[in-house]
Amino acid sequence: MVTPLDIIKKKRAEAVSRIIGKGYLSTKRVYVGMATCEIAAGSDEVMRVFRDAISKGGLTDVYLSQKGCVGRCNLEPTVEIIESGKNPVRYGLITPEKAQDIIDRHLKKGEVITEWVID
Amino acid sequence: MGKEYVVTLCEGPSCIHKGSRRLRQLLEKKLEKHGIAGKVRTFLSGCLGMCAKGPIMVINPGYVIYGGVTVDDVDEIVEQHLIKDNPVARLTVKESHLYNRFFRVFGDAKFFGKQMRIALRNCGIIDPESIEDYLSLRGYEALAKVLTDMTPEDVIEELKKSGLRGRGGAGFPTGLKWQFTRAAESDEKYVICNADEGDPGAFMDRSAIEGDPHTVIEGMAIGAYAIGANKGYMYIRAEYPLAIERIQKAIDDAKKHGILGDNILGSDFSFDVEIKLGAGAFVCGEETALIHSIEGYRGMPRPRPPYPSVKGLFDKPTLINNVETWANIPVVIIDGGDWFSKVGVGKSNGTKVFAVAGRIVNTGLVEVPMGTTLREIIYDICGGIPGNKKFKAVQTGGPSGGCLPEDFLDTSIDYESLAEVGSIMGSGGMIVIDEDSCMVQMAEFFLEFTQSESCGKCTPCREGTKRMLEILTRISKGKGQDGDIEKLERLGHMIQKASLCGLGQSAPNPVLSTLKNFRDEYKEHIYNSKCRAGQCKAMLSYLITDNCIGCGACLRACPVDAITGNKKEKHLINQDICIKCGKCYEVCKFDAVAKS
Ligand SMILES: Cc1cc2nc3c(=O)[nH]c(=O)nc-3n(C[C@H](O)[C@H](O)[C@H](O)COP(=O)(O)O)c2cc1C
Repeated sequence: MVTPLDIIKKKRAEAVSRIIGKGYLSTKRVYVGMATCEIAAGSDEVMRVFRDAISKGGLTDVYLSQKGCVGRCNLEPTVEIIESGKNPVRYGLITPEKAQDIIDRHLKKGEVITEWVID
Repeated sequence: MGKEYVVTLCEGPSCIHKGSRRLRQLLEKKLEKHGIAGKVRTFLSGCLGMCAKGPIMVINPGYVIYGGVTVDDVDEIVEQHLIKDNPVARLTVKESHLYNRFFRVFGDAKFFGKQMRIALRNCGIIDPESIEDYLSLRGYEALAKVLTDMTPEDVIEELKKSGLRGRGGAGFPTGLKWQFTRAAESDEKYVICNADEGDPGAFMDRSAIEGDPHTVIEGMAIGAYAIGANKGYMYIRAEYPLAIERIQKAIDDAKKHGILGDNILGSDFSFDVEIKLGAGAFVCGEETALIHSIEGYRGMPRPRPPYPSVKGLFDKPTLINNVETWANIPVVIIDGGDWFSKVGVGKSNGTKVFAVAGRIVNTGLVEVPMGTTLREIIYDICGGIPGNKKFKAVQTGGPSGGCLPEDFLDTSIDYESLAEVGSIMGSGGMIVIDEDSCMVQMAEFFLEFTQSESCGKCTPCREGTKRMLEILTRISKGKGQDGDIEKLERLGHMIQKASLCGLGQSAPNPVLSTLKNFRDEYKEHIYNSKCRAGQCKAMLSYLITDNCIGCGACLRACPVDAITGNKKEKHLINQDICIKCGKCYEVCKFDAVAKS
């Protein structure tokens, strides 16, 4: 008999492969905070910069996702960059201009912009 | 060769006992010796919840967990793992608790290291609008497990074992509440999620829903199964449009997957959730008022008993829990009540989320194991008070809570300890106050809130809070009278005892606790017309000192022409005209305007 647990495990496997299908295994994953607080601090503009960079082809091999609020109220908007084999880098107080810099320097050239890092 | 590793050592009480501090000293010495001290960072964290396998060491990137590490293992870890990138297999332990994932992404940041994220385990690491993201992190596995091999009684037993208590304010044992609601006989029952979140300055529940809506739904479905309900309501304030949108999407997606609706995951259990919007009245967070509001009546409380578990929504047995309580449920099921009960202290198990605000360097959401002290949250996690100011007080529990001075900073955060010192856990608001704030005004602020939110049904709350507020306002206006302090105390105790619901019963708390802990400030206001924080305008006067060079800046800035004086001569403020707006103080470049 197929149990609810069997069904949910199958759903999990399907979910994982769908996420991978969306490019999760790209070498770089970018997460932008998109909760009420983050958006109020301007994160939707930041999100747009990343989205545009990807859709216009300037940025490849990057998985972009929104995320909820982690609770760093005074440093919002926040952006995280997770690269396989490296420690996650978290940026705070990101503006659209800084987002462009993150694309040009961090995502394209691998330079961590230490002044903006939250630790 | 040799990545930029971050080594985290667990500094929970159990790991310290097993020698984690000695390990760290030794590790740092070895790093120095091998010349990689600059490259590898060491970091201390709060309890990681793996006490049985301590001392615990976590190495990132890679999230390799070492357990039972001794001083003899340090050389091998440094040489093999940190220099040659070969993790030491014999020391690794497999841990798959639900909260681990958060730690993996954020564990090495100071603000998060001392935290333990159980309720908020997915907030900030998944896309809240993607059911795939939730499913991929073992989402809905707890519900499936319950439907596959647990009876409702098993679920309640597990919950009782966990010792989880309500996170909405009162701290009632959740397992017992579920048991009572299960025991109540009826053809129909309901579950409700209380997402009214009315405390000023609190935003834990909003963040939880916006960051991980499916967790709350999963918790509710498990609750419904346990008590025998098929219908749930999510009561959420209309001021939270994004949270509403996300919870609606989560409900729709869950339905598409057969996780809500009829015959969930092929079982014979059916459950559906409907959203009800509240219009932002504080009292509607009180469970009986909330139930009235869902029924379409005015949101007013009624006496209990009967409790909602016996007679609730539409007079049927109803299980009502707070958002954060619901978010803990899947963890209790997956990681087990035993594990959960080991996190925390005494009769307070698990973690609590706080929204820390006020005069603090890092404002934000903090989830810590019960038993963490106020000092650890304020100084270690949130970075202390900005601008070299002195800490004065911390208000926990919002408008229903109390104000604690410096002497209480080492109070452990748990239901009992906070109550003992005259405050409450409440729903998780935490406001930090520095020396620039006036305690009379603080009390006035909170009472103004509860007074205007009083629904008016019972006299002690309706009239009593009004009279108390009048007295407080009088004191802060410099018109306090002999006997006012005693009157406030008498009224406060009466309102606490005689009010119908928790709103009135707790409304005097900020006043009574400031009277207890900051009585001198009240006295100074009443008897010496003095506000030491310089906040009460009526007690403040601005004076021009001999530093004045007669530049005329203040004269031009004064909106009511209270300042006179010739150019290059000392100016004068006419106290009868002055409205104490402070403009002159702000514009003076020569330190010549004094507050007194
Ligand atoms: C004036 C007043 C306001 C309340 N507001 C809330 C609220 O916003 N959210 C909440 O979960 N509980 C609130 N409560 C507590 C609820 O009445 C109830 O105890 C809670 O929802 C039970 O859930 P729990 O056992 O999970 O904490 C409030 C109580 C009072 C007296």
